[in-house]
Amino acid sequence: MRDYLELLDRAYTGEYISEENWDLEKVAATARRLVKKYRLEWDRNQVIPTDEGLIDAVFQAGLEMAIELGVYCRSTERIIHLSLQEIEEGLRTMPQSLVMGEGKDARTLYARRIGDERPPLFFGGSPGSPIPEEYFLENVLSYAQEPLIDLLTCGTLTEIGGRAVRTGQPLEIVATRRELQYLRTALSRVGRPGMGMLAAQSSVSELGDLAVAHPDLLRRCDSHLVPLLNELKLDFRNMARAVNSWEYGMINASLPCVIVGGLGGGPPGSAVINVASFIVSNLVCLADYHILHPIHIRHVATSTREVLWVISAVGQAFARNAPAIIVADIYPKSGAGTIELLYETAANAIVNSVSACHIEGCGSADGKLPHCSGLEARWMAEVALASWRRKITLEEANTWVLRLLDKYEKVFTQEGGNPGKPFDQVYDLKSLRPTVEWQALYDQVKTELKAEGLID
Amino acid sequence: MANFLERICQAVVEGDDVSVVEYVQEALQAGESPLRILNEGLMPGADIVGKRFEEGEYFLPDLMLAGRALKAAMEILKPLLAAAAAADATLKKAKIVIATVQTDIHDIGKNIVASMLAAAGYDVIDLGVDVPLNSIIDKAEETKAEIIALSALLTTSMPYMKDLIDLLQARGLRQKYRVMVGGASVTPEWAESIGADGTGRDAVEAVRLARRLLGEA
Ligand code: B12
Repeated sequence: MRDYLELLDRAYTGEYISEENWDLEKVAATARRLVKKYRLEWDRNQVIPTDEGLIDAVFQAGLEMAIELGVYCRSTERIIHLSLQEIEEGLRTMPQSLVMGEGKDARTLYARRIGDERPPLFFGGSPGSPIPEEYFLENVLSYAQEPLIDLLTCGTLTEIGGRAVRTGQPLEIVATRRELQYLRTALSRVGRPGMGMLAAQSSVSELGDLAVAHPDLLRRCDSHLVPLLNELKLDFRNMARAVNSWEYGMINASLPCVIVGGLGGGPPGSAVINVASFIVSNLVCLADYHILHPIHIRHVATSTREVLWVISAVGQAFARNAPAIIVADIYPKSGAGTIELLYETAANAIVNSVSACHIEGCGSADGKLPHCSGLEARWMAEVALASWRRKITLEEANTWVLRLLDKYEKVFTQEGGNPGKPFDQVYDLKSLRPTVEWQALYDQVKTELKAEGLID
Repeated sequence: MANFLERICQAVVEGDDVSVVEYVQEALQAGESPLRILNEGLMPGADIVGKRFEEGEYFLPDLMLAGRALKAAMEILKPLLAAAAAADATLKKAKIVIATVQTDIHDIGKNIVASMLAAAGYDVIDLGVDVPLNSIIDKAEETKAEIIALSALLTTSMPYMKDLIDLLQARGLRQKYRVMVGGASVTPEWAESIGADGTGRDAVEAVRLARRLLGEA
């Protein structure tokens, strides 16, 4: 804690720089230079890079960036520099295994390796997506009841008793507490009360987060998000989340959301920024594990070629150079009730799994609509486990993903996207089973990919 | 003459804020009109940058650097253009105040919209993220802006856009401004329901909307 307070001091004493100059002269310029220096290139048809020299260079470049730049504190417009010693210490002390949840439902997350003997774990839920209160509980239950789902996450409550929740207002506290009550209810209802969670998703500012740090709500064996801002920035609101959890003792998940096509330029520069982000978040987010969630500047979705490449490069870079617990998000373009959602999820699940990550999802329909359900999370786990069980190589995985891309890539240029339907139109809210149509699409894709040999 | 303009255009495309200033000064010394420098040098450059960005050839830093080059050039041209505009009102470019509303820190989209509006020749005043409603209105008043552009990505920050419109109403200022809203979850229906003057799905639509709201298209 003393060290963290010292970092806060640095937010006041560090070198001043305007935000625009940080973005352009520090982040963008450094990314560009490092991409050149390390000759980092990507190939649209090799969404899972297999060149070990390239992967290691991505790690080295990211490390160099973290050492050179540090982090920008937006609240004070100053740079928090991190010493080489601190950075190395941060890397060395990254948890290699981490118990989440309690009792019989506890799970141990571990730092995965490429070709790991142990299976990935699965967080089920559509993280942060706005979900109406009227079926929030049912939505959460649809994930919690899935036997393959190990850990629970959820959307955000944007209305409470018919009142619109405004971020930072008193209702945010009510919403976040209510969210946790629903989650705990769901867990006991499916007989998995000890399941670990990544929650407080309704806490958009720090308010809600602070209000749920209580054993009846978000337990010490659960986790919450400590976001970094794009790129390599943070502010006092998010530092408050870290400080509070330090005192309370819950688990921190860092969340950098590197924009591919943003300040880092293309996929290689973005991967470098992502590596640097994880490295600094060890210290400034007090990260126990990392969420890998790069997004595409135009299409958002993690299932685009560019983003798949970044996920794979970053996952592999850590596995080879500094094993860490990384949970890679799946945010497909398509929403529940569409066939493309299942193809996108399959491709993403393969990439995340072979690239040494655990998996969270699905943030269907770009995570901006309540168009999500437990069925696609089951599918995500099934596909990832099938590729793990078959021990497919990176090269084989790449071939599979290219075939899947053929089936769904059209959604990125589709007018209006491919939003599908809200949860209450793809699930029966009483029986908590998918509707006949949604189930039929799932069966169809499963049969098709079985015939093609992807799954058992 | 064409040569000057071409070099200016090229400097914008390359995001070179040092050369662009040099070229603009040279062009002015050679007797080129400020208006032609703007319309046939800077703007075509901005157009190219916008297109390349849309096509995925250019990335965010390219857009930001071009914005910087444009701003540097405009510092020189502004006083000269103001003199011209005083004589001919149609030459005046509207001011747009843009912000991500309070409690929301999503700014990638807002930055792109701001850059593209600037590239379209508007005088864009970007207030940043997490901006209190009163500050947005005060800034619009202070700068005599014509458009207030708001960005919000969170369902729980979107109500603040409605609150801003209500506040304008309460302060008796609603008629003075065109209010445009946007962000991933904003739909045309929602924009209409809160009494906004329009929305756009991306930066290209934002520029189109601004033109329409100002009666330019
Ligand atoms: C990147 C990102 C982040 C980054 C933001 C960094 C930054 N500096 O911006 C970080 C990691 C910090 C972040 C944090 C959070 N995020 Co966030 N985030 C995103 C993500 C993945 C992409 C947004 C983005 O940059 N897109 C790319 C740009 C180019 O697109 P755009 O912003 O939509 O802008 C375009 C158009 O909308 C339009 N436009 C935008 N503004 C305007 C304005 C006008 C006037 C017009 C005409 C047009 C226009 O033009 C733009 C250019 O084409 C979205 C997912 C999504 N579907 O959008 C979630 C998302 C917006 N986030 C979400 C959430 C919940 C959060 C958090 C609460 C997470 C948490 N639980 O802690 C926090 C909140 C922080 C806060 N107080 O604001 C949810 C919101 C759900 C909802 N509807 O309420 C989303 C949808 C995803 C999700 N399910 O998590 N996030």
